[in-house]
Amino acid sequence: MMGLLVLKERLKGFYARFDIYVNPLIKFIFSCMAFFLMNGNIGFSSKLTEPFVPLVLALVCSFLPYGAISFLASGFMLIHLSGISLEITLVMAIFIVVVGLLYYGFQPGDSYLLVLTPLFFLLKIPYAIPLIVGLSGSIVSVIPVSCGVFIYYTLLYVKQNAGVLTNDMSVNEVQKFMQIMNSLLANKQMLLMVGAFALALLVVVIVRNLSVDYSWLIAIIAGTITQLSVIFIGDIALNVTVSVLGLLLGMLVSILISAIYTFFVFAVDYSRTEYVQFEDDDYYYYVKAVPKLTVSTPDVKVQKINATKLQRPQR
Amino acid sequence: MLSEEKIKLMTSLAMFEKHEGKRIFPVNRYFKGDYIGSKLFQSFFNYTLSFVLCLFLWGLYYMERWLSTMDVTRLTGAGIRIGIFYGIGLLVYLSISFLIYRKRYEYAIRGGKVYLSKLKRLDKRYEGNTRPLKRTKGGRTS
Repeated sequence: MMGLLVLKERLKGFYARFDIYVNPLIKFIFSCMAFFLMNGNIGFSSKLTEPFVPLVLALVCSFLPYGAISFLASGFMLIHLSGISLEITLVMAIFIVVVGLLYYGFQPGDSYLLVLTPLFFLLKIPYAIPLIVGLSGSIVSVIPVSCGVFIYYTLLYVKQNAGVLTNDMSVNEVQKFMQIMNSLLANKQMLLMVGAFALALLVVVIVRNLSVDYSWLIAIIAGTITQLSVIFIGDIALNVTVSVLGLLLGMLVSILISAIYTFFVFAVDYSRTEYVQFEDDDYYYYVKAVPKLTVSTPDVKVQKINATKLQRPQR
Repeated sequence: MLSEEKIKLMTSLAMFEKHEGKRIFPVNRYFKGDYIGSKLFQSFFNYTLSFVLCLFLWGLYYMERWLSTMDVTRLTGAGIRIGIFYGIGLLVYLSISFLIYRKRYEYAIRGGKVYLSKLKRLDKRYEGNTRPLKRTKGGRTS
């Protein structure tokens, strides 16, 4: 534990010293993953699948705010989608514009969740999203997370039905559009995931804010149980097939990621909790003060002492 | 000669500006009514545009059915229903916008007061008052 705390302090020190380089690097990795995973899964536009295109875009993104990165990623996705079907591109474009106008009109500053949620789905650890967002954000984050789930399942639909969507001869545009809308809106797995994520996020936010010891860890466990319960109930009630092994493995990794996040963001020592009471003219105060877990990094200095050769005075 | 107190105060001011500036200064230039009014106007356009786009998708989805059973009374009924949906949605959206922007305005005003008090403290240091800061019993600085 002590070693981990020292490592944390060192990382904090490193970030404080080199944040000017670390932040662009994080953005670069984030954008790179988003663009390459999109190329790998829905790479229908041959112009964008050249490896230098995502690299150059990610390089540009490393100097942009997250809102602009999400905007660029949306554009990238729409260009790929336009390579397979104009109808699905229209649906996604309208969806993004409507979300942008209605939700991001308030400038909540969490647009990265629109990209991060599908990214975590592709990395097979989507269950970490409601846990981490619940620990770090607010209840309102349910909206971008749900939108991210919708985007992922739409892209999955496109990937799985690429052959049908490109076949222009069988049906006209309106019928094709109706087919797409029916498939998207009747996607039970998507609705189940949206429900599970929204409920888990809500539970995590509520439990995290409770004034009980180890509230963050309890919130992670409660969020995990909520997700599992909703998915299992949905599995039975809606007849949705979910791979149990994948689900349990994903959950375990998600718990681990959330625990690491908690360690870095909210490391406190509950054994030294202080309860104090005082009053002023208007209120009585019952204060619970929990000290943070901090250690000072060992400052090791190696000093070399070289004995100088004494020269004998010559006679 | 460097004054450590002034440097501390100015650093604190600069930090405050950096972290809270975006949420305070563009807002507290306005009167409350003007700020919330302009934001509600913007929300109205955002909602209307979003509604039109959704209506377009909805229209495309039901286009075949409409074309096969084109009828004036049905069209009028659909128009009325759309109008009611639009009105209720607008009311809900504007209410949410009102609550959010009112909260933001109040936050900005409070932040502005904190910023002003910090500035006043700094100003006092420049008024030839070079005695060191002493912490009084209540924790306030002179």
